Amino acid sequence: MSTDGKTIAITARNINKVFNPGSDEEVIALRDINLDVSAGEFISLIGPSGCGKSTLMRLVGDLLQPSAGELLVNGKRPQQARLDRDYGMVFQAATLYDWRSVAKNVQLPLEVMGFSKAEREERAAEMLEMVELGAFANHYPWQLSGGMQQRVSIARALVFDPSILLMDEPFGALDEFTRERMNLELLRIWEQTGKTIIFVTHSISEAVFLSNRIVVMSPRPGRITKIVSNDLPYPRDFTTRNLPAYHSLVADVRELLRDAHEV
Amino acid sequence: MTAIATAPASPTALTYNARKVLLILLTLAALVAVLSLMSTYNGLTLDDELAAESTLGRLALWMADQTGNDPDEVLSPLAQYADNWANELGLEELDPSVLFDSLRNLGNVYFGVIGIILLAALAGIILRPRSVQKFYFAALLLLDVLLFNIAAIDDSNALTLLIFAIGAALAAVVLAPARTGRIVGFFVALSFLMLGWEASKSFADSVNYKILLPQESWNYEVRLTLDEALMALDAGEIDIVVADRKDLDDLMPPHPPDDEDGEELPFQNLRYLARLDRTQGFGFLPIAPAFPGRLSLALRADDVEDISSARDILGRELVTVEGEFADEKYLNLPRNLVLLDLKILNDLNLPHLQMIAEAFLQPARRNGEFLLLRILSDAGLYTFSEAIFGFLFGAALGFALGSLFAHSPLMERGLLPYVVASQTVPILAIAPMVVIWLGASQLSVAVIAAYLTFFPVTINTLRGLQSPAAAQVELMRSYAASRWTIMWKLRFPAALPYIFTALKVSATASVVGAIIGELPSGIGEGLGRAILDFSSDYSMISTPKLWASIVMAATVGILFFVSVTLAERVALRGYIRDLD
Repeated sequence: MSTDGKTIAITARNINKVFNPGSDEEVIALRDINLDVSAGEFISLIGPSGCGKSTLMRLVGDLLQPSAGELLVNGKRPQQARLDRDYGMVFQAATLYDWRSVAKNVQLPLEVMGFSKAEREERAAEMLEMVELGAFANHYPWQLSGGMQQRVSIARALVFDPSILLMDEPFGALDEFTRERMNLELLRIWEQTGKTIIFVTHSISEAVFLSNRIVVMSPRPGRITKIVSNDLPYPRDFTTRNLPAYHSLVADVRELLRDAHEV
Repeated sequence: MTAIATAPASPTALTYNARKVLLILLTLAALVAVLSLMSTYNGLTLDDELAAESTLGRLALWMADQTGNDPDEVLSPLAQYADNWANELGLEELDPSVLFDSLRNLGNVYFGVIGIILLAALAGIILRPRSVQKFYFAALLLLDVLLFNIAAIDDSNALTLLIFAIGAALAAVVLAPARTGRIVGFFVALSFLMLGWEASKSFADSVNYKILLPQESWNYEVRLTLDEALMALDAGEIDIVVADRKDLDDLMPPHPPDDEDGEELPFQNLRYLARLDRTQGFGFLPIAPAFPGRLSLALRADDVEDISSARDILGRELVTVEGEFADEKYLNLPRNLVLLDLKILNDLNLPHLQMIAEAFLQPARRNGEFLLLRILSDAGLYTFSEAIFGFLFGAALGFALGSLFAHSPLMERGLLPYVVASQTVPILAIAPMVVIWLGASQLSVAVIAAYLTFFPVTINTLRGLQSPAAAQVELMRSYAASRWTIMWKLRFPAALPYIFTALKVSATASVVGAIIGELPSGIGEGLGRAILDFSSDYSMISTPKLWASIVMAATVGILFFVSVTLAERVALRGYIRDLD
């Protein structure tokens, strides 16, 4: 699964991010980040707390601005990419709006973007079918389980067909069984839609199971230790976790993380 | 077979059978009390105090009294009804006994229905014990209503019987095996309160300590004019004239004499007492009612040494002038001379519930044309309209300020302290200023009500608009949403529950604000004036009317609160996780 010959979705060159520059509380969150992501690639960012993996994702999504360096998304500045609605975002909490039904939650981005009512309803129904929640369109978020809420959140992120999906520990709050089911689900959706996915996690097995490449990061200051290619064949399913290659990759990543932590 | 059940609603863990037996006993007790009440009322005529003093009896007397008037006169609906009734019977005036006969029939049906319900409950205990609670509940409600009709009469045990029956029904509702619903819970608590109210009165009656003078009342007669009365005094027909001191000092010299002299006064042989010991009591006990300061006594000059205190005139023949203060407000008051009154929950500070209900169904003034209920409803509606205006005005202002503060930290830092400080100024101090600025009108009252209501709305709007989590706002940013879109799609809906909480507080506060605002505005049509009237000194004998206005004010506030709550339920349909 090499990235040669594919369109580049994200380019990061010498990215630095400093919080509270010049003050006593100055924190160097990221130093000299260089990363290329091809269109349609599934990239995981993994590392201990404070390694800047969420910060990197938020820089890409224009929720933060880099202090130095060059960042291009689909050949544009992140702000332009955001205004062009190139991003779908999924957070650790489902962040559904309590007062909207499931269908209305999924329609929210389309409402903001001024789609017609008919188109909104059609697309939302389609997305809910994709995450297998068609029967729950008229439920309210608080009537759903945590895993179902997160699926609604994914449907909402995809409903306006953004080219890049930014996921910040989306399954971190779920129990292990649900998390594994959601992993399979996400792979299916990725293969179905061909989106570029930036996936922040601190679960090694999740990162190995899901992604094309795993970006291992280390803290203080946040930087990339190594980018690990993952050649496990797709489609992956629960038998993938029994492959020796899977186990050796998990061991490699764990080793890298341990090194990173000791610095 | 002994089935043991512990119903969660029951406070005691009685065995099933023990509870059945207890319920049967309670039902029988209530039944006996109801039947005995029924027979008591069936034997009554309008001459009996129990009938004439009951709420409906008094109402019937008033209705009869309103008939046979000038046909052009505008009548209240009830009086109109009585008038039509009299015409149908071919009578000029309606005979109260006609009304009372219908009341008796109504009473028989009413007591009969309660009896049947209790019998049904009795059958239910044996056949289907799980279904009996609703029978007891129905009986309890019907009995509760009677608390507002049956008068407390000294030589009748009707009220005691009723309280007994209510107690039994209440115990049965609580003991009956069922899950207690919300409505049942509310009325059970209400019945407990009312029962407590009446029970504390019975308790107070037994411990109240009162010393009455032997006289039933003052021994006095009235003359048409002051001159006539003083002439009779001069001629020796009578001994004392009670009159206004200001009137007397133009007509006769005082006793003891003052320094000024030379003036020729019409009654040279009479003296008014310039010094009368009004406070003097019997031993250490004070006299009540005290002899009012504006009154004085006129005596023949020969008698002045005999009388120096209010006590000395007791039992003597007094004369006063018709329509004067002494006649209207003092001597003719139908009360005994009370030497000592501990006033524990007496009829003045805690009237019977029936007296409050009766106050509603009686005219505000003797033989007045409209019932207090009509007067207070009109006043309540008037105040309600002011409160609604104030509420809307305050809510709009509060929302505008809250939104402003949410969008501009500078404004919040700069103005919020003033908003908070505004609420530390008592409304009673602000109200007259508003009236001076805006004039004595309903507008002023609405502004005063708004002053109380905008604050909670401001604070909660601000808090609510700031309530969305950072991720929810970031989500909107990822859609490249404008500030305005974020406001209407996220911040405002998220703030709604907060805003409604504030609106519920404001709804009741606006009624309070309107009532307070009416006082300095001198607005006479609202509840503020009614409360002021009925709480003023001379109407202390009419505390039931004051209670009636309190009940009306509370009703207006509750109605407002309930309508806002209903609006909230509609507006927040998706939000509320569980209403129960």
